[in-house]
Amino acid sequence: MKTKRGERLAAIAPFLWLGVFFLFPFALVLKLSFSDQALAMPPYAPQIDWSAGLAGIRAFMSALDLETYARLKSDDLYLVAYLSSLRFAAIGTLLCLLVGYPIALGMARCAPNTRNILLLAVILPFWTSFLIRVYAWIAILKPEGLLNMGLEAIGLPGLSVLNTQAAVYVGLIYCYLPFMVLPIYAVLEKQDHSLLEAAADLGSPPWKSFWQVTVPLSLPGVTAGALLCFIPMVGEFVVPDLLGGVQTLMIGKTIWTEFFANRDWPSASAVAVVLLLTLVIPIVLYQRQQAKALEAGR
Amino acid sequence: MNRVGGLTRRVAVIAAAAMVLAGCGKSGPKEEVLHIYNWSDYIDPAVVSDFTKETGIKVVYDTFDSQEVMETKLLTGGTGYDLVVPANNSVPRLIQAGVLQKLDKAQLSNFGNLWPDLMARMDPFDPGAQYAAPYMWGTIGIGYNVEAVKQRLPGMAIDSWDVVFRPENIAKLKDCGVYMLDASEDMFTVALAAQGKNPNSLVEADYAAATDMLLKIRPSVRKFHSSEYINALANGDICVAVGFSGDVFQAKARADEAGGKVKIDYVIPREGTQVYFDVFAIPADAPNPTAALKFMNYMLRPEVAAKASNYVQFANANEKALPHVDAEIRDNPNIYPTPEVFSRLFVATSKDPKLVREINRQWTRVVTGR
Amino acid sequence: MNAKGGKTARQRLNIGAVRSKFSPWNDPSAEPLVRFEGVVKRFDDHVAVDGVSLAIYPGEFFALLGPSGCGKTTLMRLLAGFETPDEGRITLAGQDLAGQPPHRRPVNMMFQSYALFPHLSVAQNIAFGLKQENLPKGEIEARVQQMLKLVKLEPLARRKPHQLSGGQKQRVALARSLAKQPKMLLLDEPLGALDKKLREETQFELMDIQQELNTTFLMVTHDQEEAMVLADRIAVMRDGKIAQLGRPEELYETPADRYVAEFLGDVNLFEAKVASLSHPMAGIVIPETTQPLQVWDDDAPAAGSTVWLAVRPEKLRISLDPPPKGAVNVLAGEIWDIGYTGDWTNYVVELEGGKLIRAARANASRVVERPIGWDDKVWVSFDPDAGVVLTR
Repeated sequence: MKTKRGERLAAIAPFLWLGVFFLFPFALVLKLSFSDQALAMPPYAPQIDWSAGLAGIRAFMSALDLETYARLKSDDLYLVAYLSSLRFAAIGTLLCLLVGYPIALGMARCAPNTRNILLLAVILPFWTSFLIRVYAWIAILKPEGLLNMGLEAIGLPGLSVLNTQAAVYVGLIYCYLPFMVLPIYAVLEKQDHSLLEAAADLGSPPWKSFWQVTVPLSLPGVTAGALLCFIPMVGEFVVPDLLGGVQTLMIGKTIWTEFFANRDWPSASAVAVVLLLTLVIPIVLYQRQQAKALEAGR
Repeated sequence: MNRVGGLTRRVAVIAAAAMVLAGCGKSGPKEEVLHIYNWSDYIDPAVVSDFTKETGIKVVYDTFDSQEVMETKLLTGGTGYDLVVPANNSVPRLIQAGVLQKLDKAQLSNFGNLWPDLMARMDPFDPGAQYAAPYMWGTIGIGYNVEAVKQRLPGMAIDSWDVVFRPENIAKLKDCGVYMLDASEDMFTVALAAQGKNPNSLVEADYAAATDMLLKIRPSVRKFHSSEYINALANGDICVAVGFSGDVFQAKARADEAGGKVKIDYVIPREGTQVYFDVFAIPADAPNPTAALKFMNYMLRPEVAAKASNYVQFANANEKALPHVDAEIRDNPNIYPTPEVFSRLFVATSKDPKLVREINRQWTRVVTGR
Repeated sequence: MNAKGGKTARQRLNIGAVRSKFSPWNDPSAEPLVRFEGVVKRFDDHVAVDGVSLAIYPGEFFALLGPSGCGKTTLMRLLAGFETPDEGRITLAGQDLAGQPPHRRPVNMMFQSYALFPHLSVAQNIAFGLKQENLPKGEIEARVQQMLKLVKLEPLARRKPHQLSGGQKQRVALARSLAKQPKMLLLDEPLGALDKKLREETQFELMDIQQELNTTFLMVTHDQEEAMVLADRIAVMRDGKIAQLGRPEELYETPADRYVAEFLGDVNLFEAKVASLSHPMAGIVIPETTQPLQVWDDDAPAAGSTVWLAVRPEKLRISLDPPPKGAVNVLAGEIWDIGYTGDWTNYVVELEGGKLIRAARANASRVVERPIGWDDKVWVSFDPDAGVVLTR
């Protein structure tokens, strides 16, 4: 009996976690997005009047509305910011993949000892503060930074990279690369080497085997890595803020403006809710389709 | 908004937070503690340690890097801070939201040291000086690399907003780098002033017109950011910044320290500019308001205020402190403006949320072109 | 081969119970398909293949047999191109394979783990090799269908490998490696992962397929029964070298040494001394009996040499009655243990002096007049041509 109860507890633990740390906060944010801005502490209305009991809750419910969402619709700023963020995240994820895949592949093909050292090298930067690492890029990319000093030393003209989109992509790749490398590495490392031998045996030269065998089999890792990069990149605030220039419009900044500059928590919440939905819906659809594909295969 | 600090500002915030934690761990049950939340690098550490020596009150000093973050924290409530340092234009909002508590003037024997002229300008924000005691004040102006600008705008006097707000001028500065504050309300007050309009206009169309002007110069602006320009100016990475006086002087000091290859200067444009006050105030839910008042009164002492000014290179709001302030600072008309210049300074008023939203929307258009 | 294959012996004595027409290795004009010539392969300081020379003929089913670590798999991988020899050369149809990467070699391999592509269906797996040749789509499809039919997997064409049983996976792997109609098919422990019953069924299917396609098969196995059932010829390997090469019945009935004798099937070994030579018979003495044993051996070593007599259990007769006077090759003993397997009964007999030997009797009839029981006194005897004299 006791073990059964323990098992049941273990089974609901993830749901408990999801409920406490995701659904409940999300419900709060959702509720907030239906509220109105107010000059008060906290700066929104209505508040539930618990002392009035059921009537208080009823009054609270009736004061909620969709005004903030109407605003999101009325100004194309939000749409543009969403699209721009999605584009940044998509290109950033793609670049991470292009840089990260060869790294993961190289690691997976190394001797186990070297592998651990490389793994450590990938994780090591995480031991320093995220902000310090981004600031370091400022020092590298600024007009008189390390990059241009290096270029000058070999007689090349300097580049103006800082405060451009290129700098944002450099920052995004740098910060999110491990999230791409590790899942791909995990899949590649487990890959059966005899599959490549089989492909070679059946007449496939190495580069073709890479595309026909290695890549398709690493897709779960690629998907995981892409999601791990793409989702936080959409909401990324620090990297574009520090490395980006004037033309960098991203949804993270929009939420910041709503929350801090406009002091409009309901609108900020609405932007966040829509952001979450734009991210969650494709993922859910993707998983559905994956499940169906698995089903169909049986 | 950002007055002082630089590259490691956010790091300083983290470090300060760590210090708070460490401090909490150490403090015994009897030890009196004062929690202060201020801009980073905005106080002489000696002033704080002197206070602790004198009163035995341990000070836990926490810093922020943006007015908005500080204000949002206060609006959320339960910060645990006893003393905060908002700017003048956020004071009415904070009062109205019930975030601040009235000052017990009986505990502030040095309140009378404050400069009446400044207090008059502070009055619209805090009628009767019931909630706030001004600490430092400064202006928004143009910080620039003397050599680089002279080279690109030969023969032009650098004393007007035209330098940065006329497309033909700023275009010539584009290659050496122009930064502007990423602070919507502040930037619009000076943009409106440059256009000869009421800097605190309540007419949305005025803001639209100012946006048009700013959009024309935007291509020449490398970045809108409220803190990076300090280092960028000091290192010679950029040649012009529309920024806060204290920050620019900080950049100037760093450039001088670095060997003087880069010469930085600061100017208050003749069209006039915004003056701001950073004020001491006590949150309504402060755990130890008594200690906060003690600290406030201590800071209102002429010698202490002067010591603070000498360190951060800001003008303080203490009339009696003036004789104690270093001559170098006291006689700098860009820190302590002449009465004639002073007459052209204006304050930014607190606007209603609808207008604030419109201003921020226009600013987003300026910054991102959307 | 311990001089056993001498002409005189071959003429008088037919080795084994099988008569095979197929023996290109005895035809001096036959051209081998694959030739290993003095091939050496080292891994660090370990010599995996130590100077192997070998010829495999077209249409042959050839097995490399030996325990793990004997170098058989390395030898196969050298042929497939996954390893490069340190010395010697390998030719295929007269062409030196040196420098040819695996994907250019006209041999295909069936992997021990099957190495099916998990992301491809059965049909796609089979089509993989054909696609590499850029064959027209229709041709690929036709060939895939043909292969599916060959291995009887038509209904499962669209399944993924993880949806197949072990036996089905084995067939897919076989079909995939045969799809390109290779000059030679390499099979690495092809039946190793199957259970016993399936293994037996599949053995005969493999033989049928090999005969139907007339492809040369090279198989690596550690299972002597599998090798004997399937292969035309077997090379028994030991420590990177070929211990003996021959048809299964040759290896079984005339092993070259004790290693081969013991590796293939059960054997009773007696250490012996040659006592007398009277061509083609030899008299040898073993400690278990005072009477010299008479064995067929037309070139046994000189009298006094130490040899080993190897006698297979099924070639021993076991009796409860003492043998008639004058009978040769009789050993007295006591039943130590009995193992009944249905088709055979295996007796372990303790000889005088304590040596244990095995005797096997086919259960040719259902009723036995006088069954043998534990501790019974028995007499074990064998014909002079039942034993083999080994010098190594």
